[in-house]
Amino acid sequence: MTRVTDESTFRRRRFIAGALGLGAIGAFSGLRYGDGVSVAKETKPQQVASADNGMLVSQESGERLTTKYAATHYNNAYEFGWDKTDPYQKSGAFELKPWQVTFDGLCAKPGTFDLDDLMGMPFSHLEERIYDFRCVEAWSMVIPYNGRPLGDILKVVEPLGSARYVSFTSVLRPEQMPGQASAFSTLDWPYVEALTIEEAMHPLTFATFGVYGDQVLPQNGMPFRITVPWKYGFKSPKFVVRVTFTETRPDATWHIENPREYGWYSNVYPDISHPRWSQATERRIWNEGDIERIPSRLYNGYAEEVAHLYPGDRQQYR
Amino acid sequence: MIRTLVHLALAAPLCVLGLAWQRHALGVDPQKALILESGIWTFNLLVLVLLLPIGARWAGWPQLLRYRRAVGLWVFAYATTHFTFFLSFYLGWDFARLAEEIAERPYVLLGFAAWLVLLLLAATSTRQAMRWLGRNWKRLHAGVYFALAFAGVHYLLMIRSEWAWPVSYAAIALVLLTLRLRRARRAQS
Repeated sequence: MTRVTDESTFRRRRFIAGALGLGAIGAFSGLRYGDGVSVAKETKPQQVASADNGMLVSQESGERLTTKYAATHYNNAYEFGWDKTDPYQKSGAFELKPWQVTFDGLCAKPGTFDLDDLMGMPFSHLEERIYDFRCVEAWSMVIPYNGRPLGDILKVVEPLGSARYVSFTSVLRPEQMPGQASAFSTLDWPYVEALTIEEAMHPLTFATFGVYGDQVLPQNGMPFRITVPWKYGFKSPKFVVRVTFTETRPDATWHIENPREYGWYSNVYPDISHPRWSQATERRIWNEGDIERIPSRLYNGYAEEVAHLYPGDRQQYR
Repeated sequence: MIRTLVHLALAAPLCVLGLAWQRHALGVDPQKALILESGIWTFNLLVLVLLLPIGARWAGWPQLLRYRRAVGLWVFAYATTHFTFFLSFYLGWDFARLAEEIAERPYVLLGFAAWLVLLLLAATSTRQAMRWLGRNWKRLHAGVYFALAFAGVHYLLMIRSEWAWPVSYAAIALVLLTLRLRRARRAQS
């Protein structure tokens, strides 16, 4: 079976993402805490349904989604182990509650907030966005994410003018995360990732509290991850407990591990070859065993929205 | 009788893999599982074929040597399966991309080189070829150690952060290579 996303589907998908982004800026002018509290407009999540042929499609846009089973049983979360099945098999002891996130560094209102405060509304009222998820290993999925634009949260803690980068730190719990306790891993824990302030404030950058309307999915990085759809998946940190504004460029776990293979920006550039995997095509995983090889797209298909962030030679943003 | 059992035993991992594929028991991404498993089994049998002469010597079982060709041909069969999966799943039979992959990625180059060596050895595994090549046949077939070295580095280059398995296999390969070199040196002196 060959199925390359046709142009109209592709356009529609991008339009939806754009429209949601614009709408959200108005709706989420404040969190539940702090000044200028505004109750977010109720946005009922799109329901996802199985079509007659067994494919999972979005009811709102009609586009095909990866099944929840595939997206929750095939994950990279080295905190639980290097195998794709480790995250769902070995995350049973992981405690999702309580969860707090500390905002510090170059911001006017640093503080520590509960997950509920970050959501600012009941989980079921969060926005649902369908993004293409593109792993650096050249496989991809189409996943409905539940959350809100990260920028709306960041605005509340008021980053200073000197803040040029945002660093994310994942949780360190070797007793609940066997991969962090493994003697055979060369990664330094906890996992750290970072974005420029412009990337972090971009309306597509999504503070994520669940996928498929489900919060109880540690294998997908819950209870709190950041989703950056135009970059390779490892740039979307999971289990985030700390967000720090800095002036100098922060470290990132995979980048430190092997800077030649994992660039600091790691935008999806199909024409820039990775030492390990060609990035020209990707294997789109739709369901267990249902895999399709499709061409990869510049910025994972989000070029229209984000290309302006990267002026000049793209090599420097690999 | 024994020969048939040997062939069945050597075919078993491939059959189990094929059956698991057919029964959707290879998880969300069977393509990746098939590539990994066929690669590991190629390595396993490659080690096995090189253990045969050592076993024959140390255990005093010269009969083991009779099955070298059988095991060797199965190594080639597994390597070819591994290569075919890679070509099909990752490259979609695009041979221009295969050339690019070989040029750009050392692990692909080494894997391909190992497969070429095995192809050459399989092609010259007949009695006719043995007669035709004479004394050179033995020299040529010592090339299996090149395949082993290539495979060892090929696997080492796959390490992203977990190193236990690739390093274990590379260590086994290193021991086998060292034993062979020591024997060659002793034979010379």
